[in-house]
Amino acid sequence: MHSKLPRPVTALGFVLALGSALQAAQPMTPAARAYHLAQQPKRVALAQETLFSRRGELGLSDQESFTPVHAFTNAEGEAIVRLDHTFQGHRVLGSQAIAKVPLGGAIVTLTDKVLAGVQVGGEPTLSPAAATAIALRRLDPKGPMKDAPKVEQVLFPAQFLGGLATTVNPATGKVMVDRQLTVHAQLASPYVWAYEVQTRLLNNQDGPKQLTYYIDGRTGNILRINNRLEQQAVSPVLGTGQGHYNGSVTIPTSKMVDGTYAIYDLTRGTLPNPYLQNFAPDGSGWSPTGMQAWYELNNPDGSNTWTEFLYQGNATNAWGDGQPFTAYGQEGGANGQTMAVDAMYGMSWTWDFYKNVFNLDGMDGKGTTVMAEVGMTGSWYRNNAYWDTYNQGAFLGAGSPDGYGAFTEFDVLAHEMTHGVTATTVKFVNSAGYEEAGLNEATSDFFSQMVKAYSTGVDGHAGTTIPNSGATWVMGAGVGHGTPIRYLDKPSKDQRSPDGWYDGLLYLDGHYSAGVLNRALYLLANGASATPGADDYSPYLPKGMKGIGYEKAAKIWFKAVTENLSSGYMGTVTYLDARNAAIQAALSLYGESAGGYGLDSLTSHAVEDAFGAANVGMNYAESSRTQVLFADWRNNDWIERNHDPRVGYGHKQYLPVGEKVVPRVTVLNNPNPEVTWSLGGPSMYNGSTYALKGGVINTDGTWTTPYELGWYAITATSKADPKQFAEGRAFLVNLDTDGDNEQDAVDLGNVAFSWYLTTALNPAHSMFNAPVVDDGDIAAFADAMKATWWVK
Amino acid sequence: MPTPPPLRPFSLVLRSPMTKNLCLSVFLLTLSLACGGGHTNTAVAPAPAAAGIAYTDPTGTGWRLVKDSHSTPTRLLLNLVGPSGLKSRGAAFNLKAPAGIKFGNFSESTWPVKDLGVYELWNTDPYPYDGSVLPGSDPLEPKLLAGGVKTGNVLTVGVFQKDRRATAKDSGQPLFQVALEFDATAGLNAGDTLSLSIAKSKHMAEDMGAFSVKPTMEMLQKAVLVDMTIAVGVLRAN
Repeated sequence: MHSKLPRPVTALGFVLALGSALQAAQPMTPAARAYHLAQQPKRVALAQETLFSRRGELGLSDQESFTPVHAFTNAEGEAIVRLDHTFQGHRVLGSQAIAKVPLGGAIVTLTDKVLAGVQVGGEPTLSPAAATAIALRRLDPKGPMKDAPKVEQVLFPAQFLGGLATTVNPATGKVMVDRQLTVHAQLASPYVWAYEVQTRLLNNQDGPKQLTYYIDGRTGNILRINNRLEQQAVSPVLGTGQGHYNGSVTIPTSKMVDGTYAIYDLTRGTLPNPYLQNFAPDGSGWSPTGMQAWYELNNPDGSNTWTEFLYQGNATNAWGDGQPFTAYGQEGGANGQTMAVDAMYGMSWTWDFYKNVFNLDGMDGKGTTVMAEVGMTGSWYRNNAYWDTYNQGAFLGAGSPDGYGAFTEFDVLAHEMTHGVTATTVKFVNSAGYEEAGLNEATSDFFSQMVKAYSTGVDGHAGTTIPNSGATWVMGAGVGHGTPIRYLDKPSKDQRSPDGWYDGLLYLDGHYSAGVLNRALYLLANGASATPGADDYSPYLPKGMKGIGYEKAAKIWFKAVTENLSSGYMGTVTYLDARNAAIQAALSLYGESAGGYGLDSLTSHAVEDAFGAANVGMNYAESSRTQVLFADWRNNDWIERNHDPRVGYGHKQYLPVGEKVVPRVTVLNNPNPEVTWSLGGPSMYNGSTYALKGGVINTDGTWTTPYELGWYAITATSKADPKQFAEGRAFLVNLDTDGDNEQDAVDLGNVAFSWYLTTALNPAHSMFNAPVVDDGDIAAFADAMKATWWVK
Repeated sequence: MPTPPPLRPFSLVLRSPMTKNLCLSVFLLTLSLACGGGHTNTAVAPAPAAAGIAYTDPTGTGWRLVKDSHSTPTRLLLNLVGPSGLKSRGAAFNLKAPAGIKFGNFSESTWPVKDLGVYELWNTDPYPYDGSVLPGSDPLEPKLLAGGVKTGNVLTVGVFQKDRRATAKDSGQPLFQVALEFDATAGLNAGDTLSLSIAKSKHMAEDMGAFSVKPTMEMLQKAVLVDMTIAVGVLRAN
């Protein structure tokens, strides 16, 4: 077989002229360089003529020639010309000559890659269009082409047949067949006519691909496939890690150009990470594409330096020491690596969970690379974790020496990355003042539990189902050194989160109002007890219920948030909307298939019961449920936004200190409209916007507000059904800026004195006794005026 | 002997402040007739029920409430006018009205006070600070303009320039406006005098513009509203 293959021509060398060598040693002046550049076209022609005249020496026939395809003038003033070898005017693949053309010297040609003895008969029978179609069928693009394929007839030497291509399986570290590049074909002769079809893809579905196909011009067989995308000499491998929260684990890593390893996973993510695109390649083979773990470098005292690095340069691919993080200033060392091990472990499982169970390519569904940065410090970052949607990254706090551990626990990663899913689908608002803030956080909590369960599956990272076990139903137990940050089964165990919905839930920070949905989804998956006092017993569903299992609950809620709900960051989605969306999802997933129930199925009944158990809507077949609503304080002023929302006080009720105001509620679905008023409310336990209780509830139902400004809450509880209540909140402001013990419009003048005056300010001029008086004071003044005097 | 004319029933005038005098008149008329003296058909007719209100401007050139020409018989528009030549940056007052007078709202605003465009109520810098919105063109910009009716039928209104960089304005022109509306259900009689009073009124003087960047006595000296007296005219039902 080898004797039939074309034989490369031995390189032909020509002696360099002495003058040329001397010139090369001299620095070239700009004028000299300009001269050489001007001469380049002539030298290209000279190179072509020279090689053409030497065809006989190279074993070429008169049907063959050379076509210059690239030229440049080097620092020595030589023109470097590359010339393709052609046969009957068509390029002979892999056959190229290089010529160096100096000024006034002998031309040097390198021809060791020029193929001699080329022979082929006839013409291709396949059309260029047919060849293109074959290539595109193999390419199977999911999205649009970057541009139209380019097709060119070429002469294909058999020695370049593609054959078997291999790659490394990131899950096992073993070599495997690269199905994208592998071809199986045989040629009838050492040379055949073929078509070169160049394709380019760059879209959200396919990511970046540049594949070139060589199609046999007679048989249509694919002879070879080249991947023209610039590949770094980086190969995916598996590393061994000692995590603090996960113990000894395997994590995806890469072997870099220099042979060291990085926590950098080329197999997850096909589009670059937006944040990492800000960093320049360092020659290691790194790029912003591929899941990876970074760290923030801190000072030894734990203060941040605002510099960050990739975990790389590891010679053994063994990472971490499994110990709690304490090595500030050495985040890149073994102790710091522990955080990265845990983070990468959680990230890879979460990525695969969404990809394999829900067919979601990355958090944004486009394959965009996600990253984690660990060891974050600073006043806010240290004891927290957040997801940056724009940058597709989880930024994870280092914890505190005497407080929380590092925020790299498995469920923390899954929680944060799930924010990436909701941020590109339903787009919940994530701030107190909107019920959907709780839906947002609970969705992340719930799916973090599902990822936990997924990671225990027998199919490992390739699993497509969710086992019905493995969830712990608590969040951040490791971060809290055994005390969970949140409980999904009975959220009120944290002393802050409610177990059921009430009017006023929106005043809670989303991490606490999440309790209602966490409870509903927990009960949906696991069922509810009928035994009073049990954690999973609900007074709203005393009969209890049977759970539908993890997988069904997960698929229902995933469908609800990705297909049935839409906020677009407008804050319009309520808990009742969420319940209805879940019912619709249950019906579409398990309606008819659940036994011919059509628009009514056992699964949807379970959804109704689970949400009803969390006081969201009614249970299945329940006829009526009492509700208490803070409907109207005065013409909707309770939530009226009667000022510019840009000043930051929207959704808030302002009332003056020391005035008698008239709170009003509506009791629905109960013949007894009476309520019991009390000072304070559930939101008083909200850590982020702490509410106070104060003043006096008068016998006529009015509220005499206290004299101290701040957030205040009052609660109305149904006398007929004490399970039902509503909380109202108001910010009490001081209108008496001139200190004459009378709150009137004259006080406005003092606001003007201090408006936008950051120093030399009399704080009493501010509605909030704040150091800065701005438009917010004016808006609050207006709200408070309207809310009090006009109600009398 | 001629037959005396029938008496008018008293019940029509019982609730008016003039009731006592009217009763006395009728009593005297009845007495004279009973004595058989005098002429017939000389009885004084009781005051008719009021159908509106009339206002006579106060005299003087100081701070005063002046009737606006757009007033109607049932809706009296009063403009606050200050001394000509006195520069100010805003004013406020609490106006108490008797029963029979309601303070009206304006369609232009949500408050019972109407700005007349003298004071600059907006930030003089473009807002937001990228210059995309010119000063005064943002309809949502919170302004130092407010009014409300407090217990005791006391209208409290205030209009101020919030931005110290804006220049003070000549007070001798209509600055802002309030509306007093005749309450037809109150039983006022024509000719009834209605008492208006202002218990508190202040204005912001010209020289409070620039402050030093550090706390100084200057702040305490300048950041004080100036007490003033607002002359109120005579208001009658008619």
